[in-house]
Amino acid sequence: MAKEPKKEGESGEESGEFADFMADISQEIAQRVESLDAKPKAPPPEAKKTPIAPDAGLIGEWPNIADRMIEEMR
Amino acid sequence: MSVVNYGTREITCKIVYYGPGRSGKTTNLQHIYSQLPEERKGKMVSLATDTDRTLFFDFLPLDLGTISGFATRFQLYTVPGQVYYAATRKLVLQGVDGVVFVADSQSRQLAENIESLQDLHANLADEGLDPRTLPLVMQYNKRDLPAGEISSIEDLDETLNFRDMPYYSGTAINGGGVFETLRSVASLVLSRLSAPAAKES
Repeated sequence: MAKEPKKEGESGEESGEFADFMADISQEIAQRVESLDAKPKAPPPEAKKTPIAPDAGLIGEWPNIADRMIEEMR
Repeated sequence: MSVVNYGTREITCKIVYYGPGRSGKTTNLQHIYSQLPEERKGKMVSLATDTDRTLFFDFLPLDLGTISGFATRFQLYTVPGQVYYAATRKLVLQGVDGVVFVADSQSRQLAENIESLQDLHANLADEGLDPRTLPLVMQYNKRDLPAGEISSIEDLDETLNFRDMPYYSGTAINGGGVFETLRSVASLVLSRLSAPAAKES
């Protein structure tokens, strides 16, 4: 059976307890939404860089390994 | 259940009041309902037996209106505390975002509190939810009973609150601690909005 609960202290006005609760929750939600909206979008993934061996000082001058191969084949 | 839906601009939180039979779960919801202004009063549904114990569950939809552009709704449920309604408790826990564990402070109810807490953890685990990370708040209810009949807050906390969750003393029968508890669990649930898994579009 379904029943309606007792309505203690029933009143049409916003009660202090509920008003306080609403104020806190509204503030909390506003902060959360703001922080979500303000979050910087993830930067686009960087292009893969050719790994630089510690003893290959010059390799960093080529943007990628294909360029270096072409250069060395010349 | 998704907590925030950017597509429909809705925030929906499901909060379940858990605990042993007669610990005061329904009383918590009844107090909240009694404090709602008329325009926000939906229908609280209680399904009770002839002896007035919760048979299936209580449900209180709490429509908070539009906050920061999001239609915000809290759905408050209780579970039947009696041991033999295990299947119902499991069902009500589906999609839960936060739990209030209402413990009965009476010393003679300590074993029931422990059993119910273990039952909660088992059911959460069955739902694939991690009891260590789900927002959970303890309420030690019935603090208005004579001191000789109830355990101290410290003892209850040491026995039941191994996760060091926020806890509140409650006298739900006259509203004591009810909104503090709700505010706390709501805050914990909302703090998870930033979790990427909770954001849907």
